[in-house]
Amino acid sequence: MGMIVDTDVHCGVSKQRMLDFLPEPWRTRVADGSDGPGHLGYWNPNGVNRRDAVTPDGRRIEGDPQTLAQYHFDHYNIDFGILNAGGVHVGLSPEPDFAAAYCSAMNDVYVNDWLTADERFRYSMIVSPADPALAADEIHRLGDHPGVVQVLMPSGAQYGYGHRFYHPIYEAAETRGLPVAIHPGSEGRGVSGAPSSAGYPGSYFEWHSNLVGSYIAHMISLVAEGVFIKYPGLKFVLIEGGVSWLPPVLWRLDKNWKSLRMTVPWLERPPGEIACEHILLTTQPIEEPDNIAHLHAMLGMFPADRMLMFSTDFPHWDGDTPDFALRLLPADLRDAVMWETACRLYRLPVP
Amino acid sequence: MPERGLYAVAPLDELPPGSRKIVDVDGRSIGLFNVQGRIIAVLNVCPHELAPVCLGRWSGTTTPAPPGQFHWGREGEILRCPWHGWEFDLPSGDCLTDRRRLRRFPTRVADGQVFVDLSPGARA
Repeated sequence: MGMIVDTDVHCGVSKQRMLDFLPEPWRTRVADGSDGPGHLGYWNPNGVNRRDAVTPDGRRIEGDPQTLAQYHFDHYNIDFGILNAGGVHVGLSPEPDFAAAYCSAMNDVYVNDWLTADERFRYSMIVSPADPALAADEIHRLGDHPGVVQVLMPSGAQYGYGHRFYHPIYEAAETRGLPVAIHPGSEGRGVSGAPSSAGYPGSYFEWHSNLVGSYIAHMISLVAEGVFIKYPGLKFVLIEGGVSWLPPVLWRLDKNWKSLRMTVPWLERPPGEIACEHILLTTQPIEEPDNIAHLHAMLGMFPADRMLMFSTDFPHWDGDTPDFALRLLPADLRDAVMWETACRLYRLPVP
Repeated sequence: MPERGLYAVAPLDELPPGSRKIVDVDGRSIGLFNVQGRIIAVLNVCPHELAPVCLGRWSGTTTPAPPGQFHWGREGEILRCPWHGWEFDLPSGDCLTDRRRLRRFPTRVADGQVFVDLSPGARA
């Protein structure tokens, strides 16, 4: 028996529904058209949302729970999907109270409109890292909802996510038994600074290719600053951040630890080992080397059977479908990647 | 005629506690460390990349502690290789972060002389 769990699905939420849940003065503000920090304006000629993701009568598939269920979940026989709200980017706002209120309203829309609509839907509640205490409050407000299975933050950030500034978020998530995840797209927005460690990329192509950089930085930061020592029950999910960079970074961590352990005395074991026990990754956009044996070799260089989870990123332009992923994955990883690891992490019922 | 493989390497009074001396013995460079009165002889070759390990910093180090805390301990027991900083525990020869160990030789003190046993198979 095989299942499919899609760990990265995006929905469209109407501005009106946000207004229904936003308190003043934020309702007036958003109604006026100000909803947080914008992106740098890079041009993706594909559009971020797939042009073809529309129903026969012309509605956006991701814009409504029923059409998402019919045209994505039914179509691909997806058993469960994790809904990740694009509004998470508001977490890079320099206005922490607005960002927290916006996240709460978005979470209320999903809990009221989406989690009630289809039993296959699960939700990553979004929080703004701009004020970790407010983020922790939000995690405690919603964290026990049975459909809420994860806490989501933007991968653009002011500091590496291991920084102690963020620890209240991890304490709350660990208490509620929720993994914390990050999703790309906000690199360069708001207070996140330059989108790459070499400054400002000159095209969407360059910006998007660089997204792995923030993932590498966050993973190293989380491990080095002892987050998984301080919160041993915490899992951290790197959504849509690439996969193939992982093994050499684990090797580098272990090599450096042999020389510099003294500066991180809370790491009593090789840090790569610690990373592999707490970090998970989603597949899309899986790298596609010309020689598939190279992909398979890379997947043998870390415990992919317990760290890697399938995702489509529907309806975005760079998505991977379930059949495409199945063709790329080696046979002995298919069950683990397509559903087993996600079912365990998100406590999804297995028939 | 000395016991086979046993070499007199230094007068003990040249090696007071906390001091080290590098000596050449039968073509081999050997570090002598007086660790709290115990003489430890170490082959001056790091098991990692063959660096002169005995020339590295000899001090204490940080002991396991929660994130954000630093506890100092093992003073006088830790030798750090000058090349990559691998830390070795002199009393045991163990590396703190790798399976590879220091090559050490048995020592003894007699008549105010430090002797090192380089006979084949000798292990400290």
